[in-house]
Amino acid sequence: MEILRVEDLSFTYPERESPTVREVSLSVQEGDFVLLCGATGSGKSTLLRLLKRELSPIGRKSGTVYYRGTLLEQLEQSVSACSVGFVAQNPEQQIVTDRVWHELAFGLENMNLPQSVIARRVAEMASYFGIEHWYDKQVSELSGGQKQLLNLASVMVMGPDLLILDEPTAQLDPIAASDFIATLKKLNRDLSLTVILVEHRLEELIPICDRLLVMDGGRLVHDGTPRDMVSTWKGGEPLWGSMPAAARIYRALSGEGDCPLGVREGRRWMERTFENRVRRLPRAPYTPAAAPALEFRQVFMRYQRDLPDVLRGMDLCIFENEIFCLLGGNGSGKTTVLGVAAGYLKHYRGDVKIFGKKLGEYKNQSLYRECISLLPQDVQTVFLRNTVREELADSGLGEGEFPFDLSALVEAHPYDLSGGEQQLLALAKVLATRPRLLLMDEPTKGLDAEKKKRMAEILRDLKAKGITVLIVTHDVEFAAECADRCALFFRGQVVSHGIPSEFFSENHFYTTATSRMTKGYFDGAVTVEDAVALCRANERREGGTVC
Amino acid sequence: MRRFEEYNPVSVALYFASVTGIAMFCLNPILLVLSLLGSLSLFFLRNGRREGRSHLAYLGLFLVLSLVNPLVSHNGVTVLFVINDSPITAEALAYGVAAAGMVISVLYWFRSFTQIMTAERLLYLFGKLSPRLALVLSMGLRYVTLFQAQARRVRQTQTALGLYKEDNILDHMRGSLRVWSVMVTWALENGIVTADSMAARGYGIGKRSHFSRFTFGRGDWILLVITAFLFMMTCVSAGMGALDVMFYPSVRMAPRTPVAWVGYASYGILVLLPIMMEGVVKIKWKSFVSKI
Repeated sequence: MEILRVEDLSFTYPERESPTVREVSLSVQEGDFVLLCGATGSGKSTLLRLLKRELSPIGRKSGTVYYRGTLLEQLEQSVSACSVGFVAQNPEQQIVTDRVWHELAFGLENMNLPQSVIARRVAEMASYFGIEHWYDKQVSELSGGQKQLLNLASVMVMGPDLLILDEPTAQLDPIAASDFIATLKKLNRDLSLTVILVEHRLEELIPICDRLLVMDGGRLVHDGTPRDMVSTWKGGEPLWGSMPAAARIYRALSGEGDCPLGVREGRRWMERTFENRVRRLPRAPYTPAAAPALEFRQVFMRYQRDLPDVLRGMDLCIFENEIFCLLGGNGSGKTTVLGVAAGYLKHYRGDVKIFGKKLGEYKNQSLYRECISLLPQDVQTVFLRNTVREELADSGLGEGEFPFDLSALVEAHPYDLSGGEQQLLALAKVLATRPRLLLMDEPTKGLDAEKKKRMAEILRDLKAKGITVLIVTHDVEFAAECADRCALFFRGQVVSHGIPSEFFSENHFYTTATSRMTKGYFDGAVTVEDAVALCRANERREGGTVC
Repeated sequence: MRRFEEYNPVSVALYFASVTGIAMFCLNPILLVLSLLGSLSLFFLRNGRREGRSHLAYLGLFLVLSLVNPLVSHNGVTVLFVINDSPITAEALAYGVAAAGMVISVLYWFRSFTQIMTAERLLYLFGKLSPRLALVLSMGLRYVTLFQAQARRVRQTQTALGLYKEDNILDHMRGSLRVWSVMVTWALENGIVTADSMAARGYGIGKRSHFSRFTFGRGDWILLVITAFLFMMTCVSAGMGALDVMFYPSVRMAPRTPVAWVGYASYGILVLLPIMMEGVVKIKWKSFVSKI
């Protein structure tokens, strides 16, 4: 049955001249799992908001949206609130109350339901989502992944048939994101819940979605199954970069037959199509500079006297002029490493040396003058002013001195910029202190494939200028692409390190999709480009494309 | 029977209001001894040896309060000794001790009260008065922690960016002011996301109900009725003047009539209710454990 029909929908924001959404028509069947993707600014978030009446933006709108045959505007208030659920990007700010149980009950309280009904529905949802053991907790004690799961559960408790999600995993680490996506798929399968989802991280979503919609410049340019997207791709090259590795390799080699979407399919297709006589790409050996930029020697740190150690005997050496990625799970203490290196968290034992000088010898804030600078995870914490211009002037940069082109944005409020633009502005401000060692905390969080590519280019530029970069990240694909050396951080220590091609091909799980796909068939292939080059170096099998 | 604190917050709050209400308005030594006994034993039963040091402070407060009255008030017929031509009387000392005992016992009732009445229980009480007020309080509690965490992050970031240029207090204050002003903007900006999330879940379309995890069962009624009854009996007895005490010119208590005995007995039972309940629950638990 048709649950949602959109006819000729266009929308223009009040102060814009061109429409953000243009003549979109689509029909969604009950039980569909629909993935909507597009570059930043393609109008996908606006489209999603137009489908949820309570969140519809103000502006000029034409065209119609029907929910189960009724015009969206004519739905009863309570039906509209309950039947269409909406989960947004930021896990933190969507939460309204201070306790998990109260948050679950919030929507039902709004429906003025009696205590006994609320108690039953909340209990049911809490056990379905596995929330029972943190049901009593304060919201502030939860991890990011738990918070987003709570947001999902407190929408699901109202019993929606249609769930709309706007980049729900953008702020989560990969493990929490996988859990969240698995929960969505389970809801879709168990309850025949219709899901419409906007996301940048497509590696896992493409194989499980039924339909892929692609938006470009406010128009819907693709509407079909994910498998047929390759032959008819209209989303443009930048967006293609966020597609699953298997599909990208397939397209780069102009493969035939069904397009592989996941690691397993990709592996089968590759083994059938290519031989593996040449197993390894020739690589220039990497030799770091002799002088260390940052050294940790047997560093111990804990937040309070009676809490456990977060860093326990950590050893780390980063040489001058290299890009170093520190990878590790959530809550493993990666961010603490940066805090200690930047001197605002204090270790109680061991030595931290920056350019050969102990931290304690940098007196009177001299550490922060042309020496070290930190780009935090939450870049909003960098901004103190009301416009981009003031922000840049504040950090001592003249109009012409921006490291990247921000001139189009100078009048805007920093909070009004998109995630990628905020990241660039914050980076400009951080670089204005002329650091020799730049620390970055999750610089790719919430960025689309194109913006990530831009970030990698910026890092290479910085390196060319002689700046040393330490990045703490979950993003293995990004690390494989841009790092000189990588290390895995686990339980307060660095457990392994090496150059990306070796580091990632030795890891089994904590590695890129390409590496998982080519493991044992090729050696040291960690990026899509590596795999494509290796396939090209080998011959196609006779009749190998027959499936 | 449950543990005292597991009863419905309405019954528990009413209980505390009754015991402290009587203790605050009576300086009758017998009632005060009962109140002290009850409040101290409830606190020790719940905390054991924890908070050990804090009792010394309360003891100090008791001594100071007891001794201040005889030093400033010289009424009374029994002169103990004379300091600087001022007589120190036994009656003024007795009054001081009684007043100090009253303050200390009420403070200890409040210590137990704040331990038992967690934010969630208070919220439930306010929710009974107004669901909207309860929601506002709950959102407030959430926002305070959120705000504090964000302010800490901004401070850390700005430290590493060199906002605090020198190691001096003036520079720190200037920096803190900037952080504070940006936090206001941040709160307004991010409040929009919360408002969206509330609207999406149907906030504001009509009357709201209030969900709480407490039920009001038979046991809660019983506790409520017993508390009210004992409170009334004590009040009646006091109202008839049977519990009156005069400190000046000499200490004189009303004669111990049967009405007075009813008052003392009612307050005594009221004061010891939670302790008796804890005791019964402990004994019951022991017998349950023996069956496991």
